[in-house]
Amino acid sequence: MNRVDPITLEVIRNGLSSIADEMALILMRSAYSPVVRDIMDYSTGLCDTEGRIIAQGLTLPIQLCSFPRVMRFIRKRFGNDMAPGDVFITNDPYGSGGQHLPDIYVLKPIFQGARLAGYAATVAHHTDLGGIVPGSVAIYATEIQQEGLRIPLMKMYEAGKPNRALFELIEANTRQPVEVLGDLRAQIAACRTAEKGLLSLVERYGAEDFGTYIDALHDYAEAMMRETIRELPNGVFVGEDYLDGLGDHPEAIKIRATVTIADDTIDIDFSGTSGQVAASINCPISLPESAAFTAIRCLSHRDIPNCDGYLKPITVRAPEGCLLNPLFPAACGARGVVGYRVFDTIMQALAKVIPARAIGGSEGGPFLLAAGGTYQGRQFVLNEMLVGTWGARADRDGIEGISNPAANISNQPIEMIEAEMPIEVVRYGFVPDSGGAGRNRGGLAFVREFLFHQDATFTLRGDRRDHPPYGIEGGGAGAPSGHVLIARDGSERLLPAMPMHNFTARAGEIFRLVGAGGGGFGNALEREPARVLADVMEEKVTVEGAARDYGVVIDAETLCVDHDATRMLRESSAKEAVI
Amino acid sequence: MSKTYRIGIDIGGTFTDIALVDDEGTVEIRKVASTPDDYSRGIALGLKAIIDDFGIDPGRVAGIVHATTVATNTILEFKGAVTGLITTAGFRDVLEIRRLRIPVLYDLQYDKPQPLVPRRLRLEARERLRPDGSVKTPLNEDDVARAAEVFRREKVEAVAISYLHAYANQAHEIRTEEILRDALGDGVYICRGAEILPEIREYERTSTAVVNAYVGPVIRNYADALAGRLAEIGIDAPIEMMHSGGGIMRLAASVRRAAALVESGPAAGVIACARLVRGEGRGANIISFDMGGTTAKAALIENGAAARTDEYEVGAGINLSSKLVKGGGYPIKMPFIDVSEIGAGGGSIVSLDSLGRVAVGPESAGSMPGPVCYGRGGTQATLTDVFVTLGYINDVTLAGGSIEVDAEAGRAALRQQISDPLGQDLAVAARGILMLAVSTMTRAVKAVSTYRGRDPRDFSLIAFGGNGPVVAADIASALGIQHIIVPLAAGVFSGFGLLRSDVEQEFVQPLLVDTKQMPADMLPGIKARLRDRAMDALRADGYDTGLADYHFSADLRYFGQAYELNIPGDMNGGDIGALEEGFHCEHERTNGHRSTTDPVQLVNARLSVTVPMASKIARFAPAPRFERTDRPVNFGEGPVMTAVVGREALKSSYRPGPFIIEDYDCTCVVPPNASARLDALGNIEIEVTPA
Repeated sequence: MNRVDPITLEVIRNGLSSIADEMALILMRSAYSPVVRDIMDYSTGLCDTEGRIIAQGLTLPIQLCSFPRVMRFIRKRFGNDMAPGDVFITNDPYGSGGQHLPDIYVLKPIFQGARLAGYAATVAHHTDLGGIVPGSVAIYATEIQQEGLRIPLMKMYEAGKPNRALFELIEANTRQPVEVLGDLRAQIAACRTAEKGLLSLVERYGAEDFGTYIDALHDYAEAMMRETIRELPNGVFVGEDYLDGLGDHPEAIKIRATVTIADDTIDIDFSGTSGQVAASINCPISLPESAAFTAIRCLSHRDIPNCDGYLKPITVRAPEGCLLNPLFPAACGARGVVGYRVFDTIMQALAKVIPARAIGGSEGGPFLLAAGGTYQGRQFVLNEMLVGTWGARADRDGIEGISNPAANISNQPIEMIEAEMPIEVVRYGFVPDSGGAGRNRGGLAFVREFLFHQDATFTLRGDRRDHPPYGIEGGGAGAPSGHVLIARDGSERLLPAMPMHNFTARAGEIFRLVGAGGGGFGNALEREPARVLADVMEEKVTVEGAARDYGVVIDAETLCVDHDATRMLRESSAKEAVI
Repeated sequence: MSKTYRIGIDIGGTFTDIALVDDEGTVEIRKVASTPDDYSRGIALGLKAIIDDFGIDPGRVAGIVHATTVATNTILEFKGAVTGLITTAGFRDVLEIRRLRIPVLYDLQYDKPQPLVPRRLRLEARERLRPDGSVKTPLNEDDVARAAEVFRREKVEAVAISYLHAYANQAHEIRTEEILRDALGDGVYICRGAEILPEIREYERTSTAVVNAYVGPVIRNYADALAGRLAEIGIDAPIEMMHSGGGIMRLAASVRRAAALVESGPAAGVIACARLVRGEGRGANIISFDMGGTTAKAALIENGAAARTDEYEVGAGINLSSKLVKGGGYPIKMPFIDVSEIGAGGGSIVSLDSLGRVAVGPESAGSMPGPVCYGRGGTQATLTDVFVTLGYINDVTLAGGSIEVDAEAGRAALRQQISDPLGQDLAVAARGILMLAVSTMTRAVKAVSTYRGRDPRDFSLIAFGGNGPVVAADIASALGIQHIIVPLAAGVFSGFGLLRSDVEQEFVQPLLVDTKQMPADMLPGIKARLRDRAMDALRADGYDTGLADYHFSADLRYFGQAYELNIPGDMNGGDIGALEEGFHCEHERTNGHRSTTDPVQLVNARLSVTVPMASKIARFAPAPRFERTDRPVNFGEGPVMTAVVGREALKSSYRPGPFIIEDYDCTCVVPPNASARLDALGNIEIEVTPA
C-alpha cells in the first residue's frame, strides 16, 4: 500500500488519541490517591515500535516529553530482552529518564503475537515514596538519596509474572502503601486497556499499513509545526525570568532562554541560566523540553496531532550542571516549579515577536502543600497542588479560576479532603485587586486556607513572591504570592516561599496559601472606565484599587464613575509615570 | 366506546412537531412553525388545527407528552432568571473556580464560560457541617436575612442554596429556604443543592443547583402558559415532560427539576431510534443523526441501547461527549442520554468575515425571523436558503403547504451577502457552503464514533429531524458510511418518540459506609425507604404504582477511590455479599483489575422506577396530500432536472439516484452516488457509494 487515505488517517489518529484518553479515564476512575484521582497529576500515552510518542491523553502538556526519554532507556537496556507480558517501571531521574521520585513510570510493550506493535505508557505522581517528609517532596533535600525510594529502570512484570520483591520493597518504603499499590494497579490496568485498543487497530489495518499511517501521522504533525514556525519572523529573542530563591534569605535564581527562529526551525538555548542548587528544585532536562514545546505549540492555531513529528523542528539545549540539566546526585523532588518558569521565560521572549499571541504571567505554577500525620490509626498525606490564574492577553483579560496554561490539573473537592483527613478547608476564593493592572487585567489570585484539626507536619513550595508574574507591553505585574501560618490567637506569621525546612502545625492553627495574581497587558490608564466599573461591581477590583491602579474614580455609594475626576487623576498619573 | 388520544409535542427552535396516536395505534403527524416569543401559542395553534382536522373531542385527549428546547436555549442565550447563590461562608467563588481544568490544550485565547451567577449575587452565610452531617457551626440566620435583603434589592428571580456537606444533613439548607421564602415570597424560585443532588463534591452539586435555579423560573412560566393554553382549547389531560435521561415526568415535577429538561428533545429522538432498532432486530449498531433548525445532534446506539452518562455540560459550544473533555460548559449531574451536539442547523446563519472566510452558524435565525426564504422578516442568509438555492428543498412550499417559500428572496440574500463579495458564481458558492456545513456537522457524528475509537463505517445512520434527511447522504459520503435509514415520520421523529417513552425517575440515598461495617438490617431498611419515597412521588404525580417497575442498584468503590461503579442488585435479605462480588467483577471488567483485600465502600443506594406508558403503534395515517413537481437540483455539476417523488413511490428494490423524496414532514435527498428503497415497514433505506 502506498496511498494514504485521509479518512483512514483521521480515524487512526482519533482512534489512538481516544485510546490514550481511555487510559486516562481508567487511571482516574480506579486510582486511590487524591493526587491522581482528583488533581489528575498523571499522563497517559502510546508509543510506536520505535518508541516515538503517537498519542497523549488530554492530561498535562508539561509531561509530554517525559515518555520519549524513558522509551530511549528502555530500548537501549531491554531492546533485545523484551517479551509479551513484560511491564517496565522506573522513577529515577538519573540513567532512566525520570523527573523526580514521586513520578512513577509504568510502560508496557504491546505484542501482536511475537511481533512488537508499540508501547503503552503511563506516569503518575504517587502520593508518597518515603524520604524525609510526607509526600516525598522536600525542597531542602540536597541529594537524591534523601528524597525517597529510587527505582532504576527494571521489569515489574516479566512475561506476566510479578516481581514480588519489588512490590514488597515499595510497600515497605512508602507512608501510604494502600494508595501507592492501588495507583500502580491503576497504571497497569491503563496499559492493559491500551494493549487491547492498539491491537484491535493494528489488526484492523494490518501491521504494515498501520506502520505506514503512523509514519504519515508523524510527517503530517511535523509539516504543520514547520508551517507554524515559518509564519514567525526570523531572529534571536531573549527572555529572562527568575525564581525567588531558597530559604529565609532568598537569592534570585535566573532562567535565561535564547530563542532563535530560523525559517522553519526553532532553537532554544538555556545558556546563562543559574547553576544547579543545593535544594530539590533542580530540573532534569525533559521538563524544560516539554515546557518549551508547550510554549511554542501555543503559538499555533492548528490542530496538531500530539506525536513525535511535531517536536522535530524544535531543538532545546541546556549546559550540563545548570539548573535545567543537573548532574547526579542533585535533588529534584520540587523541580516542577522550574518547568513553569521555563514556560514563562520563553513566553516573554516570544512576546517580543508576536505580542498578539502571548500571555501575561500566570499564578506561578502549582503551589505545593504536603501535610501529613496520623489519623484513625493510619498515616495520612494531604498533597495539594494549587493553580488558578492566567495573565492577560492582547485582546482580552486574564482568567481567574483556571489551571495554569502549561498544566491542566484540577482541584481536590473540599468535601473529599474533609471526609478523609483531619483537615478542614475554611476558605477558597479570589483575592480582589490581585490581578496585574493593564488595558487588559490579569486574572485574580486564589486563596485557600487549611485548618488543622490535629498536629501535622507540612512542607511548602511556592514562588512568585519577590518576582511576581510579569505584565506585557506596559501591563502591571500580578500581586505577589504568600504563605501565612495563623496561630490560634489570630497572630500571623509569614513563611518563606521556598522554605528550607518543614513546619509543624498545631491543632487549631490555620495555614493560608495565596497564589500570585496574573500579569496585565497594556497601559492600565487606557482601560475603559466602564470595564473598571464592571470589575468593581463584581467585587474583583475595589473602589480604592480602581483609583490607585487604573486612575478611575468611582463613588463607593452610587457605584458610578466620576468622569471628570477620572480624567484629572489619569492625567496626573500619566505625568507621574513619565517622571 | 369512543376513542382516546395521546399527543406528543416536540418544540424545536424552528418547528413544533406534533404526533397523535389513538388507542388503536394509528398515528397522525403535524408540523407547525414554532413561536419563540411564546412557545405555548404555537403549541395551541398546532393542537387546535389537529383536533379540528380530525374532529377530536378535546375531552378525549388522555395525555400530552412534551419535549422542549426552552431550558437549553435559556442557557445558550443567557436569558435565564436573575439568579442569586448563597453558600457556606468562605466559598462563594467555588462556582466560578469550577474544577479548573479546561477542554482544550495550547489555546491561550481561551475564554471560560461566564458564571451563571455574578460574584456580587453570590453571598455567604456562616454555618458549617462536618462530613458526617453533625453541626460544627450553627446556621447564622442573620446572614441569611441580610442575603435575602440583597436579593430583594437586586430583584433576584431565583436563588440556589448550596452548603458544604449538606448531602449529609439538609437542615441548614431547609432552614435557609424557609427564611428566604418568608422574605422573598412565593414568586422567587428556590433550589437547594442537596435536594436536587444529595451527593458529595461541592462544585458539581452547586453547579447543578445553579443551572436548575437559572432555568427554573423560565420553565415555571412556560409550564403555566402551556397548561393555560391547553385548558383554553378544552384539554385537561395530564401533561408529561421528557427529561434528558430518556424518561418522562409530570409537568409540575419538571418545574422543580428544570435542569433535567436540558436535552429533552434530543433524548426523545434517540429513544425513538433505539425502539426502532430494538423492535425490528435490524443491525443494532446505529448512529442517530438529528438535524433541525438550530443544531445537529448525534448519539451512539450499540446493541440497541443508547449510550448514557451521568455528567453533562450544557452550553459547551460543541458538546463532544468524551468524559475527559470537561470544563467548557455548565455541569449538570443527572442521568443523561449521551448526545453530541453542534450548532449547525437549517436556520444557521451564513456569514463572511473580514478575511473572506465563510462560516455557517453557530448563530441561528431560528423560527423568527427565520431563513430569508420563509419571508418572515429574516434578512441574513441561512443554510435553508442554501438548500433552496441548490434545489435540495422545495422552492414553493414546505410542510405540505403550511410554509410558503420565497426562493428568490433567499437566493438574493445569498448573492448579496456571500457570493458577490467573494466574486463567485451563486451556485458555486452555495455548493461550497453546503460542503462546509457538512464538514461541521460530521464533527458531531465523529464525536460519538471516531473520537471513541469506533469506525463510522461499521454503523448505520438513522437520519431524522426536519433537515437530517436533507444532508444525510452528504454526511454519510464524507464519513464513508454506506447505509442510512430515514424512518417514517422522520421530520417529527422526536415528537413521535415522546409517544414511545415510559415514566422514569431515580431516587438516591447517600450512605458512605464500609460494607464490612454495615448492620445486617441496613440494606432492607434503605430499600424500603427508597421504595416509599418513590411510591409517594409516583402517587403525588397521579401514576398507578401498581404498574411500576423498581430497579435497585448501589454505587460502590474501593475505600480511597473517588469514582464509583453502579452495580444492580435487589438487596434482598440484606445480602451485601452479592453486591460486593458484582462490584469486584464490574471493576475488573471496566478498569481491568480487582482487589480482594481492600475494603469496599457503599457510596449511594439508588432506585430507578419506571411506569410503562409507551403507546402501541400500529400504523401511520396517510399524510396530507400535496403537489410535487420535478425541479433542477445542483449536486455539484450544475443544475440537473431531478425527479421529486413521494415515499410511497419507492419499491422494495433500490432505485438509483439522483432523486428527491418529499414527504409532508421532511425532504430526503438521494444524490447521484446513492440509491434508495422502501422496507416492509415504510422506512426509507439509502445505500451510499463511497466517494
